[in-house]
Amino acid sequence: MSTATATIYSVDVPQPKQHGKPGGIMRRLNFFTGLAGGVILAAVFGFLMNIQFASGAQTADFASASAGPTFWAIMVGWVLGFMGGMGAFVGPIRWVMGRDLTHADAEFMAGKDQGKFRYWRFTTDHKVVGIQYLIMAMVILGFGGLLAMLIRTELGVTWAEVFNPDFYNSLVGTHGIAMIIAMIIVVSGPVGNFIIPLMCGARDMAFPRLNALSIWLLVCAVPPLILSLLVGGIRDGWSVYQPLNSQAGPGMIGYQTTIIVFAVSTAIASVNIMTTILTMRAKGMTWSRTPISIYGVFAAAAMGLYAFPFYQYSQILSMTDRLINTSFFDPVEGGSVWLYENLFWLLGHPEVYVILIPSTAIILELIPVFMRKPLFSYYMAIAGIVGVVGLSGLVWAHHMYMTGWAPQANYPFMLSTEMISIPVGFLVLVIIGTMWRGTFWSRLPMMAVFAVVFNKMIGGVTGIYLSDVPADQYFHGSMFVTAHFHYMLMGVALFGAMGGVAYYFPKWTGRYLDERMGSIGFWLAFIGFQITFGSMFVAGLQGQPRRVLQFDNLFNISNWISTIGAYTIGIAMLIFLGAIISSWRHGEMAPSNPWQAQTLDWQTATPVPLDNFPVLPVVKGLPYDYGVPDPLAPEKVEARLREEYEKAGTP
Amino acid sequence: MADTMTPTPGSGEQPEEPTNRPPALHRLRDWLQRRYVRHVLIITVVIGFILLPLCWLIVAAMNQTGAPASVVMEDIEQTVFVFTLVSIPITAFVFAVLVYSLFGWKGKSGDTPPNEDNPAIRNNLVAVITWSVVTSALAAFLVVWGLMELASITNNSFGTQPANGQVKQEDVLVVNVTGQQWVWTFEYPQYDKYQSDVLYLAKDRPVLFNVTSKDVVHNFWAVELGVKIDANPGAVTQTGVTPNKEGIFNVRCAELCGLHHAYMETQIRVMEPDTFNSWMRENGGGKTS
Repeated sequence: MSTATATIYSVDVPQPKQHGKPGGIMRRLNFFTGLAGGVILAAVFGFLMNIQFASGAQTADFASASAGPTFWAIMVGWVLGFMGGMGAFVGPIRWVMGRDLTHADAEFMAGKDQGKFRYWRFTTDHKVVGIQYLIMAMVILGFGGLLAMLIRTELGVTWAEVFNPDFYNSLVGTHGIAMIIAMIIVVSGPVGNFIIPLMCGARDMAFPRLNALSIWLLVCAVPPLILSLLVGGIRDGWSVYQPLNSQAGPGMIGYQTTIIVFAVSTAIASVNIMTTILTMRAKGMTWSRTPISIYGVFAAAAMGLYAFPFYQYSQILSMTDRLINTSFFDPVEGGSVWLYENLFWLLGHPEVYVILIPSTAIILELIPVFMRKPLFSYYMAIAGIVGVVGLSGLVWAHHMYMTGWAPQANYPFMLSTEMISIPVGFLVLVIIGTMWRGTFWSRLPMMAVFAVVFNKMIGGVTGIYLSDVPADQYFHGSMFVTAHFHYMLMGVALFGAMGGVAYYFPKWTGRYLDERMGSIGFWLAFIGFQITFGSMFVAGLQGQPRRVLQFDNLFNISNWISTIGAYTIGIAMLIFLGAIISSWRHGEMAPSNPWQAQTLDWQTATPVPLDNFPVLPVVKGLPYDYGVPDPLAPEKVEARLREEYEKAGTP
Repeated sequence: MADTMTPTPGSGEQPEEPTNRPPALHRLRDWLQRRYVRHVLIITVVIGFILLPLCWLIVAAMNQTGAPASVVMEDIEQTVFVFTLVSIPITAFVFAVLVYSLFGWKGKSGDTPPNEDNPAIRNNLVAVITWSVVTSALAAFLVVWGLMELASITNNSFGTQPANGQVKQEDVLVVNVTGQQWVWTFEYPQYDKYQSDVLYLAKDRPVLFNVTSKDVVHNFWAVELGVKIDANPGAVTQTGVTPNKEGIFNVRCAELCGLHHAYMETQIRVMEPDTFNSWMRENGGGKTS
């Protein structure tokens, strides 16, 4: 590394000088220094702010609203301290100082020769980031799932209040937002970061350092959410409607911090994924030879890039309403609650497709592999994804049919919302068309297809009710809505993601996911899921509102059944988690292409080398070239019929 | 036409005679004669009939507390019924494909793919067009139905009244609904501004709700009447209904409004018009305006 120049096309390009060991200060920084930095800076900021506004924390009453500024300072301190301690600011500082990364520095940053400890660092390698996303998704899912169990306990114990209403409301809100975050990253994170560059035939993501930044911003965003449970909590549901929001304690600042940081993380990750897909696909991988899951993840990234700024903006305005007495959303001062609702749902609806589309795309990706058939009507799958993306931005106000914001707008929004069933129908046709007339390879990932299609039909049909204003006039705000979106977000997205985990597990870890234990967990979860949310539909039809902890005796039976189902899901998920952990540690070793798939991600070695491919691949066709020529192809049938026709017609 | 095995377009020099092309119906009949097609269709019909009772069961679940108590609620239930009915064929078909894939075409496990000889069906224009047309037609039907029902409900619930709250009809009962954490207050401006925390209504007399809130967003949900509208602070939203059934019904809050959201519910009592008027007189409502 001592050469001062490198020769490219006979032009001398000045190379940055190596200062000290490769990596420099990054050698000393890791998750633990980040944690320490975050805690220390949070304490310092909180202390300083408390001197200035000595009202809340001094009385040790963090739950009082007057602790707002202090809690805000703590949050700012945490974010800056954690990211600083992680080394997120080292890059910009080096850039200002004119010390660009040398090759050795870059290799260190990518985690070369650091063993398992590279997972704890600000590592730029997309494979490390993908695994970090997977772990984070599982951690947040576990946290949200625990809250779900507590919620169902409260609702199952119909004869008493287990928790006080405030804590129950916090549980509901925190469960909601935690699960939303987890579901957004559970496919787009591990698949988008680990698999997509491999599938594109690239050596890394387009912006490796931004990649590391996006995952560590996500890690940074989670503790405020958990911490907020201790200081008043998120008592207003995950949508935190104004002006109820402004009544909550400083826990709401934790929520706002989480969203603002997470939105930055999502924007960075989206730009990174989109740039990678747009510019770094292998030679020959034209848009008509691109695997469908690349389309899916690209669509999710594009929708996220469009949707999350609205969310971030709404939360920044909420924060200023709370802290410096602006009144964007305070009707007493001339603000508007409908403004908040619009901003929120401008995120809200694209966001569910940010969750659904990658999961569906993974399902579309693995069906051809396990059916050993080409993807049926590839162009229709693209049309379906594009159609959903195109409509996703035009439907947000269907969450606001009953708000009185603009009754006349209900007509066009009903039209656009019901039109979404057409592109979604395309995707269903692609799935059943690929299953048509083929025997399937009965492995766990393929099983997920059956579960997902089943749930998608139920979630889709109930979605049609909700998209319809007259029916929504009964269902809006009832348990029916809760059951519907759980069918979509859990039944389709999470079960699809579980199939995706089973499918990509050999690439991620070099081992098979334990088929037996995984299947038991998966199908038990499926059964529990049907019980839980099937009976929740009944409660909704009977007229139980959402987010209530006590209700008429009428709803008791369906809630008891629902709670039993929820515990089943809990146990099943633990079994599935157990399968993941035990397989990861000592599962059966898998070859580099265990499913004999044709996409590029399976054509490289396992474990994937640092630069992915020894020689960059060249693509010659669509990677769904399975099966034998169809004996019943329409042209052959036509020929046979013509022959019969002629025979019958002419003597 | 000797070379019938490779009739790909462009391979033959002579153009095919149009009379030689088998009619579409023949191809359809040939397709219907295949074993798996028949099985899938039979399973579709069976699943369809299994799902059919859902149309009534769903409405029955909605009716458990006495609904429908108004034309609006009847419209809502009719919509739900029709939507269920229309969704069943396509749901049944997809489920039938799943079932036949599991038990008809079947699967095999193993470490290597056991099914490399599956037919490579890349596309089927007829299937794609049929599916697109059918789903689009169903969606179009649902949209048109929904728009018409919405127009009818809007008509039945004063949705087209001017925002100043002036009511055209003479006999309309006006109720000012105010939500606050965590009670509903009903004020009758035509009855000396009589206030109540139970909603009293007269049977067959149209009622106009002016809904607002004192603090946060609530949602005024008269369950069995099929009325639902947000109560927003700083704004009045309007809706209305004509109850057509006597009885005791529920008002619930359908928008999370804080600590005691779950307990923010009250009763609706729908009475005969005469009983209603005398009840109002007895309880301080004074003269009818």
